[in-house]
Amino acid sequence: MTGLPRIRSSTALLSVLALVWLYPLVWTFANALKSSADIYRAPWDLPWPPAIGNIGEAWSRGQLGVALLNSTYVTAMTVAVVLVLSITAAYSLTRLRPPARAVLFLVVLAPLIVPTEVLIVPMFSIFRSLGLINSLPGLAFYNVVGTVSFATVIFAGYFRTIPQEVVDAARVDGAGRLDVLLRIVVPLARPGIVTVTVLVAVFTWNDFGGSLVLLQKPDVFTAPLALSRFSTFYATDQGLTFAGMAIVIVPPLLLFLVLQRGFIQGLTAGVVRR
Amino acid sequence: MIEPRPRLAFFRPSHRVRAVDFLFLLPVLAILVGFLFYPLIYGVALSLHDTKGFEPTTFVGLDHYVRAILGDAVFHRSLLNTFLFTGVAVVLLTGLGLFLAVLVADVKRGAALFQFVFLAPFFLAPVAVGAVWKFLYAPYFGVAATVGSALGLDTLTVAPLAESDVALWAIMAAFLWRFAGFNMIVYLAGIRALPSEYYEHAVLEGASRFQQFRRITWPMLWPQTFALVLLTTLGTLRIFDMVWVMTAGGPSHATETVATDVYTTAFRFLQVGYAQAMAMILLAVVLLLAVVEYRILDRRAEAVRT
Repeated sequence: MTGLPRIRSSTALLSVLALVWLYPLVWTFANALKSSADIYRAPWDLPWPPAIGNIGEAWSRGQLGVALLNSTYVTAMTVAVVLVLSITAAYSLTRLRPPARAVLFLVVLAPLIVPTEVLIVPMFSIFRSLGLINSLPGLAFYNVVGTVSFATVIFAGYFRTIPQEVVDAARVDGAGRLDVLLRIVVPLARPGIVTVTVLVAVFTWNDFGGSLVLLQKPDVFTAPLALSRFSTFYATDQGLTFAGMAIVIVPPLLLFLVLQRGFIQGLTAGVVRR
Repeated sequence: MIEPRPRLAFFRPSHRVRAVDFLFLLPVLAILVGFLFYPLIYGVALSLHDTKGFEPTTFVGLDHYVRAILGDAVFHRSLLNTFLFTGVAVVLLTGLGLFLAVLVADVKRGAALFQFVFLAPFFLAPVAVGAVWKFLYAPYFGVAATVGSALGLDTLTVAPLAESDVALWAIMAAFLWRFAGFNMIVYLAGIRALPSEYYEHAVLEGASRFQQFRRITWPMLWPQTFALVLLTTLGTLRIFDMVWVMTAGGPSHATETVATDVYTTAFRFLQVGYAQAMAMILLAVVLLLAVVEYRILDRRAEAVRT
């Protein structure tokens, strides 16, 4: 009657919380465009005119450009290997009949409760004797171990929803196991592939512990590792450090923005199963 | 004449057929044996030896374990911090996630936007989150310092991460900021899947909104709570990266966790065998808590499912 839209109390409360949640990010991006002197002198001012130079300097002098390339390489390799391994494994565990299936399922799930942090020392020792220190493929294998189990769990969930009769009918018609996998199972599990790709990519992109231990030469540093070195090395140049943080933050944020819907559906389906 | 039925060898798998089924599992098993089970066994061996560089030398039995459990004050502190941090994180993250989910479920417009805002930090590198929050807590230009100072308080030199009493909880705030959205999204999916008749019925009977929450929402979401408590516990006990970037375990071990302690002991002090013994103790704690929580929570989750 008043003509004013009624704002629900939930909306009001959430809006306040959302501002609190956004603040650290907005603050980081704003400070990335300020000179260090301005960050101290005028912390509340808008970054105008923007000190674009920070970004370029962080990119080249801080070697973040190279680090982003390294991260992309490790991430792409990890995602590819995890997809192949987890799809074949989930297919075998849910739609084929390998011997001792229940035991094998537990074996594949083992990394879920053995944190890779617990293995970092022996891994370093083993990687060193194999010459895999400073090797980006070596780091990719470390990340594969950390992610392949939950990828298998997510795919197993999708594959179970595919009726066994469909699979059997195709087999009766003479399709081989690989045909069934590639022509029937994989197309039906496409949302799962999106979820797993995003999750594994983000996990690998964000990994720090593995890079910290397994990479020692600056030219193979991944983005998070470069950022951590960077903020120690340029500790007195806050503007530059903020720019570095902004550069590292943006790629996963963009990925999430683009694939948000499919990701949220897949994730919530994977965590809880009734 | 009736066609002979095709022979369904597929339905009566022979050993040869099952061996082929097994081939699809071989790649993942090979990777796990090489990069998980072998390091695990090698890690057990390391923890039982003195080491030179990263190679085991003399066998010392359980000496490292005894020393860690009985005689290492820093390790005791790191264990205590890890437990405390995990316990508080489990309670706060579950509560905060559920609170946000209930609010977002109640919103008519803009729910997708709120979801995005709260979930976004989950996708950021822990190192970047740690670095951002380290600056938020910085004296002179950080938020704690400048907001207080703008309000006329003497807070310009406040540095929460340098105070041993508050540093761990300052890290907790950053941790909550990063993970609350994940718990929210899981709960939200659960709430949206609840049958609306329950609520309609409750409203007819005159139940208040709090009663609806207590009698319907909370018990019906037990499977979500179960999964989230377990995931948060397993994920938090191993916490390393955010702590490492924000405080590296300091000041004077006030924020030392088992994982930072293991890293420092192995890669700074090069006491490799001893560090691995601490890592194995952490693994034992993780396994034990996982089993205990699973037993307790699953009993109630089962009651909801049936």
